[in-house]
Amino acid sequence: MIQWLPYFFLGLLLLAVLAWWVWDAIVHRRTAELLTPRHLLDLRQVGSRRDLGDRIFGPQDWDFVLRETPSQIQRVFHRERTVLALAWLRRTRTQTSQVMSAHVAVARNTEHLQIGMELKLALSYVLFLILCNSLIGWVWLRGPVRTRKIVRQTLQWVASQRAAFGRLMAVVDPANHRVLETGFNQGTTQS
Amino acid sequence: MFTQILWWTANFAEVLLLARSIQGKFFRRYPSFYFYLGSVLIVSLLRFAVFTFRPGSYPAFFWYTQYFAATVGYAVILEIYSQTFKRYRGVVRIANALLLFILAAVILKIVAGAVSGSGWPPGETMAALERDMRALQSVLLFVIIALLAYYKVPIGRNVIGIVGGYSFYVATSVMALGFGSLPGFGSRPAWRSALPIAYLAALMIWSFALWSYHANPEPGPESKIERDYKYVSEQTRRILSRARSYLKMGGEL
Repeated sequence: MIQWLPYFFLGLLLLAVLAWWVWDAIVHRRTAELLTPRHLLDLRQVGSRRDLGDRIFGPQDWDFVLRETPSQIQRVFHRERTVLALAWLRRTRTQTSQVMSAHVAVARNTEHLQIGMELKLALSYVLFLILCNSLIGWVWLRGPVRTRKIVRQTLQWVASQRAAFGRLMAVVDPANHRVLETGFNQGTTQS
Repeated sequence: MFTQILWWTANFAEVLLLARSIQGKFFRRYPSFYFYLGSVLIVSLLRFAVFTFRPGSYPAFFWYTQYFAATVGYAVILEIYSQTFKRYRGVVRIANALLLFILAAVILKIVAGAVSGSGWPPGETMAALERDMRALQSVLLFVIIALLAYYKVPIGRNVIGIVGGYSFYVATSVMALGFGSLPGFGSRPAWRSALPIAYLAALMIWSFALWSYHANPEPGPESKIERDYKYVSEQTRRILSRARSYLKMGGEL
């Protein structure tokens, strides 16, 4: 009976990757859009929101609410902060995905592509996604206040990632980099 | 009766697709795919002739021609491979490496089986043989689609249809044949209907996607990008490793 299982899972795996590809082809149909000025403008907006993460996960607001308000307000605050924190983490994940999209746009055309490097990057990206999604799950379960130690580390990473991404975009698309750079400099980058 | 309807509908769809490709003169753009489609149509008509005039020979004829159709199916994979990757030198390098690895693994398995005597478990029936051929096709298609998705290779509607329809059919075949080739399950009519239904679904996808010719999008300018691959990949690697290390540190707090 067990002998049909590998074939069943193989078929299922192929259907899953097919569904993923079709969905991705429809949603991200215009991949060239990555390097357009409109898109860079969006990234500039992301750059200027660096302090938002500090505020969402910082203890100041929570300490104030804990001290000055009844438990009902505390519950509302906690619930709303969780929603905000999740949105912020998803934005962080999107930023990293944009870095990977910029990379694959370069890699798919070059004949100097290094297979070992590509495999390492793919593995690294998958591990990052797993970790980031776990963090999202953790915030969803425990709320942003109890998770702030974990997220503080993420904040440091976002700052360094933003600086590195700026350098990357300066290479890939130097014409539009100045617009982006201005946006990045509005936040505090800590490499 | 239901099987008859499926069979005639599939034949009609195949004739329609072939006629449309001749009328639109785009059969030359996808020669291997239309060769596959034409072969399956001829096989289907031959089966009908054998079933009508020599019904006793039909079961054996069915499985031999099924084996033939599965073999010709590799032509579709070749078509997909050449149509999707030919303009993307980076992706073609990765694809070649991975497909060669799969080929080497299959050869190694066969040789190791022949030497040890335990062998590659030989197909006890034609259904099992076809199942193994389809399983290998599944692996090849999995690699191709994963690369298409990961590298976001832009392709036209025609090729999306060929990949989608054929992959759906192969995936369903592997599952149906894996289940159906078990002893005791062969006589169940449910799994026998799965293949014609899946094939008809694939034909519907092809009819929609290949009704008119849609060329693959041209890759954009790349001269500057080409030169900076090493720098870009090093930057990406650094970003990802730092991201992972920070998140890991966070998890330990």
